[in-house]
Amino acid sequence: MKIHRKTRIAPFIPINSMSDIAFLLLIFIMLISLINYKKVIKIDYPEAEYKETTQADKNFEIWIDYDGVIYYKGYIIDTPTLEEKIVDAITKDPKTRIHIIADKNTKYKNVNGVIEILKLLQHRAVSLVVKGN
Amino acid sequence: MKIKISRRKGIDILGSGSLSDLAFLLIVFFIVIAMFNINKGFILGLPQKNSAKILNVKDILRINLNEKGEVFLKENVVPIEEVEREIKDILTINPNLTVLLKIHPDVNYQKVVSVVEAVRKLNVENFSFSMLKKGEKFR
Repeated sequence: MKIHRKTRIAPFIPINSMSDIAFLLLIFIMLISLINYKKVIKIDYPEAEYKETTQADKNFEIWIDYDGVIYYKGYIIDTPTLEEKIVDAITKDPKTRIHIIADKNTKYKNVNGVIEILKLLQHRAVSLVVKGN
Repeated sequence: MKIKISRRKGIDILGSGSLSDLAFLLIVFFIVIAMFNINKGFILGLPQKNSAKILNVKDILRINLNEKGEVFLKENVVPIEEVEREIKDILTINPNLTVLLKIHPDVNYQKVVSVVEAVRKLNVENFSFSMLKKGEKFR
C-alpha cells in the first residue's frame, strides 16, 4: 500500500501587498499635506520658554516681517484689504483664530497696527505666535 | 534513481522587500513635517473698544516698556528675567492684581513677548496691554 505523505507548508504572513498599502498611505498623506500647504515668510520668530498651543480648527495667519510689511497667505497685503479678509474669515466662522506671526526684531508699532484692526472689529482673542521647539 | 527537479525561484529584481520600509519612513517623515505647522504662543484677550471697567487703584500694576526694552515696574528698572519673580511677589500680596502693560512703539517685539510670557506664566487673569500714544508719557 502506498502511504501518502503530507508535505507540510511552513506558515507565513503574506507581505507582498504591504508595499502597495504603504505607498497608498504615502500618497494620501502627501495629498493631505499639499492641502495644508502654506507659504512661509522668512522671519525670526520671537522666543519664549513657556508657550501654549494656539492652533485652532480654523486659523488666520498674519505675518509681519522686520520692516513691518504685512503678509497674508504669502502675499503682501495692505491694511484695508487685511481688514476685509479678517471680516470675511470671521463671518464664515466666528471661531476663527487669528495668529500674529511677527519678526522678533520688528518694532512693536508694526504689530500694534494689526491689533488695532482686531480691536476695531471687536475681535476678542489674538494669538501671538512664538518659535515652536 | 531519484531525479531532482530544480524549481526555479523568482528573481526579485526590484528588491521590493525594502520598499515597504522606505515607504513607512517617508510616511513618518511627512507626519513629523505636518507637526511643525502647529502654532504655539500666547492667546491674549483684547479689550473691547470704548469699554470701561472700574478698578481699585491698589489692584493695578503698571509695567512700562521703553524704547530700549527696559522694563519699569513701579518706577524701578527691572531686568526682564526678573519680571516674573517681581509680579509673583506682588501677586502673593494682592491676588486681584490687574497688570497694565504700556509699550513704547519703537521697542522690539521680542521684549513685548518676554513680558507677556512672564504674565501668562503666572496666570494673571486681568491683563491689558496698549501702545504709548503720541505725546503720551509713561505713568
